[in-house]
Amino acid sequence: MDEQAGPGVFFSNNHPAAGGAKGLGPLAEAAAAGDGVAAAGAARAQYSLPGILHFLQHEWARFEVERAQWEVERAELQAQIAFLQGERKGQENLKKDLVRRIKMLEYALKQERAKYHKLKYGTELNQGDMKPPSYDSDEGNETEVQPQQNSQLMWKQGRQLLRQYLQEVGYTDTILDVKSKRVRALLGFSSDVTDREDDKNQDSVINGTEAEVKETAMIGKSELTDSASVLENFKFLESAAADFSDEDEDDDIDGREKSIIDTSTIVRKKVLPDSSEDRDTKEALKEFDFLVTSEEGDNDSRSAGDGTDWEKEDQCLMPEAWNVDQGVITKLKEQYKKERKGKKGVKRKTTEDLFQPLSYIKQSKQGCGRMKHQSTGPNRSKLQDMLANLRDVDELPSLQPSVGSPSRPSSSRLPEHEINRADEVEALTFPPSSGKSFIMGADEALESELGLGELAGLTVANEADSLTYDIANNKDALRKTWNPKFTLRSHFDGIRALAFHPTEPVLITASEDHTLKMWNLQKTAPAKKSTSLDVEPIYTFRAHKGPVLCVVMSSSGEQCYSGGADGLIQSWNTTNPNIDPYDSYDPSVLRGPLLGHTDAVWGLAYSAAHQRLLSCSADGTLRLWNTTEVAPALSVFNDNQELGVPASVDLVSSDPSHMVASFSKGYTSIFNMETQQRILTLESNLDSTANSSCQINRVISHPTLPISITAHEDRHIKFYDNNTGKLIHSMVAHLEAVTSLAVDPNGLYLMSGSHDCSIRLWNLESKTCIQEFTAHRKKFEESIHDVAFHPSKCYIASAGADALAKVFV
Amino acid sequence: MVMAEGTAVLRQNRPGTKAQYIQQNIRADCSNIDKILEPPEGQDEGVWKYEHLRQFCLELNGLAVKLQSECHSDTCTQMTATEQWIFLCAAHKTPKECPAIDYTRHTLDGAACLLNSNKYFPSRVSIKESSVAKLGSVCCRIYRIFSHAYFHHRQIFDEYENETFLCHRFTKFVMKYNLMSKDNLIVPILEEEVQNSVSGKVKHEGNHIEKTY
Repeated sequence: MDEQAGPGVFFSNNHPAAGGAKGLGPLAEAAAAGDGVAAAGAARAQYSLPGILHFLQHEWARFEVERAQWEVERAELQAQIAFLQGERKGQENLKKDLVRRIKMLEYALKQERAKYHKLKYGTELNQGDMKPPSYDSDEGNETEVQPQQNSQLMWKQGRQLLRQYLQEVGYTDTILDVKSKRVRALLGFSSDVTDREDDKNQDSVINGTEAEVKETAMIGKSELTDSASVLENFKFLESAAADFSDEDEDDDIDGREKSIIDTSTIVRKKVLPDSSEDRDTKEALKEFDFLVTSEEGDNDSRSAGDGTDWEKEDQCLMPEAWNVDQGVITKLKEQYKKERKGKKGVKRKTTEDLFQPLSYIKQSKQGCGRMKHQSTGPNRSKLQDMLANLRDVDELPSLQPSVGSPSRPSSSRLPEHEINRADEVEALTFPPSSGKSFIMGADEALESELGLGELAGLTVANEADSLTYDIANNKDALRKTWNPKFTLRSHFDGIRALAFHPTEPVLITASEDHTLKMWNLQKTAPAKKSTSLDVEPIYTFRAHKGPVLCVVMSSSGEQCYSGGADGLIQSWNTTNPNIDPYDSYDPSVLRGPLLGHTDAVWGLAYSAAHQRLLSCSADGTLRLWNTTEVAPALSVFNDNQELGVPASVDLVSSDPSHMVASFSKGYTSIFNMETQQRILTLESNLDSTANSSCQINRVISHPTLPISITAHEDRHIKFYDNNTGKLIHSMVAHLEAVTSLAVDPNGLYLMSGSHDCSIRLWNLESKTCIQEFTAHRKKFEESIHDVAFHPSKCYIASAGADALAKVFV
Repeated sequence: MVMAEGTAVLRQNRPGTKAQYIQQNIRADCSNIDKILEPPEGQDEGVWKYEHLRQFCLELNGLAVKLQSECHSDTCTQMTATEQWIFLCAAHKTPKECPAIDYTRHTLDGAACLLNSNKYFPSRVSIKESSVAKLGSVCCRIYRIFSHAYFHHRQIFDEYENETFLCHRFTKFVMKYNLMSKDNLIVPILEEEVQNSVSGKVKHEGNHIEKTY
């Protein structure tokens, strides 16, 4: 009964009009037959055919309605699908275009690298496949997943590499971590993770989203105008491209910074000729860049710290471009170029230029970020503390204010930045000075640390001791690395000696091709290659009948003297550096020969105090000449051959009446020129059966200290005290015989050249090698014959057996 | 002392090694011209010519030094050999009638610049085809130094020639590698060796003076 009541009730509910009595009849009967309940039957009696029909119709109508709805929905969904697909395609195309562009740029990069390498080393760079890229449409899809992982991998590898280099330098991981932690603490970095890589990954994701959020908030900032476009690119990249993670501390800043970095990878124009840096390590190094200091000296610090760091890394060079802050960058570059002391020119230059705009942008962003977040307080105070510590150190070099930088950018983009910096400058009261001293002071041990120069600066309190080191150095411009600038090619045979003019940028080279040539370094020939300029000689001095072995200039630069294998010392009136090279011959240029020696003259030394010239010759004698007239020697020091044949002679700077001479048998002696007596023989560890390798090739006298320095055939350089004659220090300097020495006019650096084709620059205080260049090829197993410093300008020159002279700045 | 004597071993073909080789041979015997001029096996001819030319310019310095004492701008006001030709100095923007001593110096300096220039001779192990032609013009100009010395400063020329046999070697060199036309070889130096009419080409055609550079 229940079951039957159900439908009955139902029917009666739905069809109150019981029109279907007929239809329901049989049903009702059947139901009635079932149990015979009248009520049920009455209910069931309401089942009528019309009712059923009506019900069915109703249901069908409902279904139809629903179906229509579904159709509509389906259509909508399909439309959405189509739209999304279209969008996806569009983005894919965009990505493909960008990948293409990347490939194009990479190809261009490879070519540049090859060119650069060819220039630098004269050989082809083996880069493998250098075909122009093919732009297949399929490649994008396949490599979609790959680049992401690859970039992560590459980035990790880059960081590993960097760590390795740091460790080579002596910077252990612990120090790195400690420093980075300190920096983070300083900057208010909340997360303190040891594994920065993970941090970066997280940060990047966070930053991605936050960047969008912050962007709107920062609309008021004028900076945004130029970074808005960047951000748009960035957003797109966020969604599509690989994730170049970065360690950033301030979120919005980082977001924008990252966008800049990303766009830089996308829009790679060649800003700097031959400038490049490995992208991964660059990014890895960016973590060191977040220095919260307003100094512009950072740039210099990086320049100082950069040298040996990049020297070690055989980085591939990539053109990098910044399509933001271009004006600022060019100005920075100009300033940088002025101050720049680059080593291995190109590499350093690139990292400098890269980091400069980077740091500048970073700082500017940080500046604005600070203003926004008002987190300057803690940062500044910490810096202040550190600086207070610094100032307490004696003879602390003062710090360069960042006011230099605010004056530079002309664009109105960074007004807040300027103001900010100006504020900071006042607050921190940086006295104007070379900013690099600030960083470099602590940088001594870390000189190869690129950005860690800044980190070192931050942690300077602990390293205050090493600050004193660089003080003297900072006063002169020689605390830098040298960069080859000019190549002097005109001699036909090896160059034996060179001498700089005391004041002008003029150099005289003496060669085995019997000539001397005078070069004006300011008259460079329009050279095709930009790395090293070609200079042509202004004048050629011809008078010797054999190879010219040595040359010196008088203290005024008006005369020069050259000694040759023919035993003659020719005296010349040096011509005006501005003459036309193809002028008529003036016989008065040759003053005349100083006759006397009977064999090759190997060394000359000019005494400014007495206007005298000292010469040493293979005939065993040393002669003193009066240079005011061309006349026979004033006096002859015939050492009776007891010390051997003199190889080199120099005047003792600390005592004008003394001279020091070194002999082929390995002895070095100091003579008094007035009395012609030998004063003292400098100590040498020789036994009577001295072998040939003890020959001393050069002796020079330190310009200020009573020290003589000798270059030995047995690869040593030895330092002697002039007063006691004792050996102060001895070091193995080169891989082969040391042939030449030069001391810079301030007496701080020693330069040595050797037949192993290298020139090394030594710090005289620490007796450590600061820089090494490989220059010149070998001829007859000889390579570098002479090196020299310019007495007043920033030039050093090397004379090679390959008939080239190179000038470095 | 420091300047080591090179061994007689021919080193690998590195830049500058040809110069060493040539210099060794010259030092050994400067009159053995054939040996000096004979290239070693497998030697690139362009490089060989280039290196020899460098060596000639180097050695010509000696002649120039000797000439400096005797050849003055007031005695030899033009660069001439015989009366027929006046040689103009090509080292200037427009060819100029330099006195003989100036011509000599400028030519040698110009040759030094050219042979050392990065533009024409960027590498010492391979010479560009386009630059080989330059060698010929350098040879012509260098030769004029010989001819002036021969005709105007005979004593110096003989002295120098006996020491170095330079003109002999140079003449043979240019003939061997066809760097100059034989008409230009006016120094009568190889009459006994050369069958062609080199010696007979010395013209004395009266007052007809031609200029060339």
